[in-house]
Amino acid sequence: MAVRILLVDDHPVVRQGLRTLLEGRSEWEVVGEASDGVEAVEKVGQLQPDVVVLDVTMPRMNGIEACRLIQQKTPGREILFVTQHDSPQMMREALAAGARGYVVKSNLARDLVEAVEAVSQHRSFTALARDLHAEHRESGQGRL
Amino acid sequence: MKLRILLADDHEIVRRGLCALLQKHDGWEVCGEASDGRQAIEMAKQLKPDVVILDIGMPNLNGLDATRQLLQHDPHFKIIVLTITDADQVIREALDAGARGFVLKSDAARDLVSAVEALQSKRMFFTPRVNDLVLRGFLDRGHAISRNEPPSLPELTAREREVTQLLAEGKSSKEVASFLNLSTKTVETHRSNIMRKLSLHSIRDLVVYAIKNNIIQMPPPASSASPSTPA
Repeated sequence: MAVRILLVDDHPVVRQGLRTLLEGRSEWEVVGEASDGVEAVEKVGQLQPDVVVLDVTMPRMNGIEACRLIQQKTPGREILFVTQHDSPQMMREALAAGARGYVVKSNLARDLVEAVEAVSQHRSFTALARDLHAEHRESGQGRL
Repeated sequence: MKLRILLADDHEIVRRGLCALLQKHDGWEVCGEASDGRQAIEMAKQLKPDVVILDIGMPNLNGLDATRQLLQHDPHFKIIVLTITDADQVIREALDAGARGFVLKSDAARDLVSAVEALQSKRMFFTPRVNDLVLRGFLDRGHAISRNEPPSLPELTAREREVTQLLAEGKSSKEVASFLNLSTKTVETHRSNIMRKLSLHSIRDLVVYAIKNNIIQMPPPASSASPSTPA
């Protein structure tokens, strides 16, 4: 069965870029797009996607808040953050809000497909651009 | 024959999005992609594209300085700059640098195709705010000095601006020298000329100058999820 994906980012060009990267996989389907956290929460309720690819910094409602609300209102979604915040602090906040994955935008071409694959199989995937191996390593899954 | 476009942005995800957008248009092809201003200049000289799209906020050499250097090399280059802000100073610098198109990144999905079409028809493309500013400038002509004009700073040479960006990005004089294929002594000379011309006393002052003058852009704050900062 196809993995159904919702893309959430306030920049249409970034959403288009995400779509282009994900379209290579025939078993994945981008079922919708949203441009802020409020719209994301609504669309998750309507479309019930398997994976939500979620930006952190957005108008009206940021991604962290949206992630908490999605987990509360429509549990069972896997959430993958894509963000320009190359920050362990932000990553911890995202994971604490219930996300399964966190990747930075500067490395998306390398990490996005692997990350979506991981979270769609309920495995965690985190990858910051800076080297955090000394600071934090998750056991077994993903790459820091 | 296809219109050949060179695209420069440091974020691959943004390049992917822009490529997809541009390649929907029959008769256009993206002939090259660059991830900083220096690479864009090399590729433009080599590929001679019909249109060059340059992000302003790129590492190593920003899009405004890349515009200046490209047009100095060949004034026939048609350049569109992509920007996250249409603040007056950025608009002025882009116009001064010789860009023929000015597109906000947040509106790129809507405006970029129109901008390329405009340049293809030998017209210019600006956002409404740029048009307002240009009109205001035209109407103000004759008033010798605008009341709110900041005092002008001594001009840096193209090389000094490059060195300023690299130092402000955190490179040492030795690293800048190796990056630009110069001797460390030459870089030190540029560095002291820059500090003297701008009356700066420390690298911290230089970083502040570089941010205020759009030579580098502020990284997003690590601790805040809002407000919005484009990719």
